[in-house]
Amino acid sequence: MSLERKDEHDHEGWMETKDLSPIEEVYLTTLIWLDKRLRIVDYLELLEDMYYKTNLQMPKSHTEQYNLDNKFWYWYPLYALGSFSTIAYVVASITGALLGFYYAPSTAAPSADAATSVAYSNVLFIMGDLNFGTFLRSLHRWSAQVMTAAVFLHMLRVYFTGAYKEPRELNWIIGIVLISLTMVFGYTGYLLPWSQLSYWAGQIGVEMALSIPLIGDWVAQLIFGGFTLGEATLQRMYILHVFLLPFVVTLVIAIHIGIVWMQGIAEPH
Amino acid sequence: MSNDEPKTDGGEPKTDGGGIVPQDDQAPTWSERKERTQGLARLTYEYFERSRREDEDLRRASDYVERDVLAFPTWPHEMIRNLAITSFFLGAMFFIAAAIPPHIPGPADPNSTPAVILPDWYLYWSFGLLKLTPINPELSLLGGQKLMSDRTYGVLANLVVVGVIAIVPFLNKGSARRPVEEPFWAAVGVGGVVFAFTIAVLAVQNLITDLLPMTSGELFILTFMLPFAFAFVAYSVLKTMREGYMFELNRRYYRLRPPK
Ligand code: HEM
Repeated sequence: MSLERKDEHDHEGWMETKDLSPIEEVYLTTLIWLDKRLRIVDYLELLEDMYYKTNLQMPKSHTEQYNLDNKFWYWYPLYALGSFSTIAYVVASITGALLGFYYAPSTAAPSADAATSVAYSNVLFIMGDLNFGTFLRSLHRWSAQVMTAAVFLHMLRVYFTGAYKEPRELNWIIGIVLISLTMVFGYTGYLLPWSQLSYWAGQIGVEMALSIPLIGDWVAQLIFGGFTLGEATLQRMYILHVFLLPFVVTLVIAIHIGIVWMQGIAEPH
Repeated sequence: MSNDEPKTDGGEPKTDGGGIVPQDDQAPTWSERKERTQGLARLTYEYFERSRREDEDLRRASDYVERDVLAFPTWPHEMIRNLAITSFFLGAMFFIAAAIPPHIPGPADPNSTPAVILPDWYLYWSFGLLKLTPINPELSLLGGQKLMSDRTYGVLANLVVVGVIAIVPFLNKGSARRPVEEPFWAAVGVGGVVFAFTIAVLAVQNLITDLLPMTSGELFILTFMLPFAFAFVAYSVLKTMREGYMFELNRRYYRLRPPK
């Protein structure tokens, strides 16, 4: 009898009964050595659990079970509109961050005798002198417009497939918030070049804000920085467009998609 | 150490850390802790226990294989398919962006109002709602005066439209999903979409009345009549389709799950 303390579960004895190849033996020895010290098994179990959760052998979905697939496969592209909105949003964010390097939200004249603003001349610089500047701005505008269109069509898809019904009412309302925020995003961006169109679209915005009963003045002050357009307006639009809205919209989209993830895509009945 | 403190062990100095009580069976388990809670926490606990039991009962009664969600799984099925379709659209978007660069209008000039003031196209509908002046009700009580200014009325119209869309899930309930199953709601949808377009056209009415032989009064009427016309057509078509379609659908169901 040896005085050496016996391995409680005698892993070595177990290994000897197994007739292992050298590779297997080294592997097992290392694994047992590490496991004794780090309790790898517990973490492996977690990983394994996660693996099976994401790769569940799914039973047939309702659509497959009743063989409805042939009825509506041609609607699939419409089901991708939500994802497409997300991707367009990502493209707009990246190009927007790049545009931000070359833009300053100022209505001051760039030189003493110029009749334009720093903001406007920055946009001209991007369009004219910056390498790939035209493409960058073009992509930013197109992705913003495409996103808005995709979001609208996504909403129509949800409506006409009745996907807003019972467990998904909350996501419908979050969607309303999202489409509104998307439009506000577009509006604030529209003002940034401080062109003739920007200016007069801003003018309408101020008038709309002022016409709200009771709190109109206050709203106009808060959002447009005054009753007439100027430096303050442009700066507020800029902060809304590049600071406030990106955080809010990203968060709300994450919640929206998280809920879809939990609930699954609504199937036709 | 003060002298009036009670001594329980003959006053000898303690070296074992004193008051540490060894863990024993008295320590409550988590479920015991939850049972002992009060108020809102207690209600939450009770509700969760109930719904867990309900889930279990349902699962036992059902002959379905267990699955995560009661719908089409987002991962991986939907996402993979979306990625494929989306990458195509993304390519198209890059192509268009390269082919059609945006134009830039002249710099802002507060002193000259342009002939056409417009936001981006996706706000036309909102802009159009500001031009509802002709249907702002006049109160005879106030001697033909309007209750609110036309602008206020337009802003309010915006809120009403968004609000109505937001409460759709609470107006239309039930498990029907396909437009043919609910011709009325499908027609409402079609009318809504057409209205979104016509009200957007109303926003650019100066351009339209220049372009088409039409007065702004006629355009205004069309704005409201066209949605109804389209909704009516949609309703009739779906109502007609409905019977045959539902028959097909039911046959498919019953072949797989014959009624007991
Ligand atoms: C920024 C805007 C939005 C983004 C990025 C977005 C993203 C998504 C995505 C990726 C899905 C998964 C299914 C699919 O792709 O069709 C989805 C589903 C859904 N969305 Fe959106 N969405 C947006 C706006 C909206 C709007 C405006 C509405 C409606 C008012 C809405 C209501 C819903 C609902 C109810 C679902 C669940 C549909 C189902 O389960 O079949 N979303 N959204």
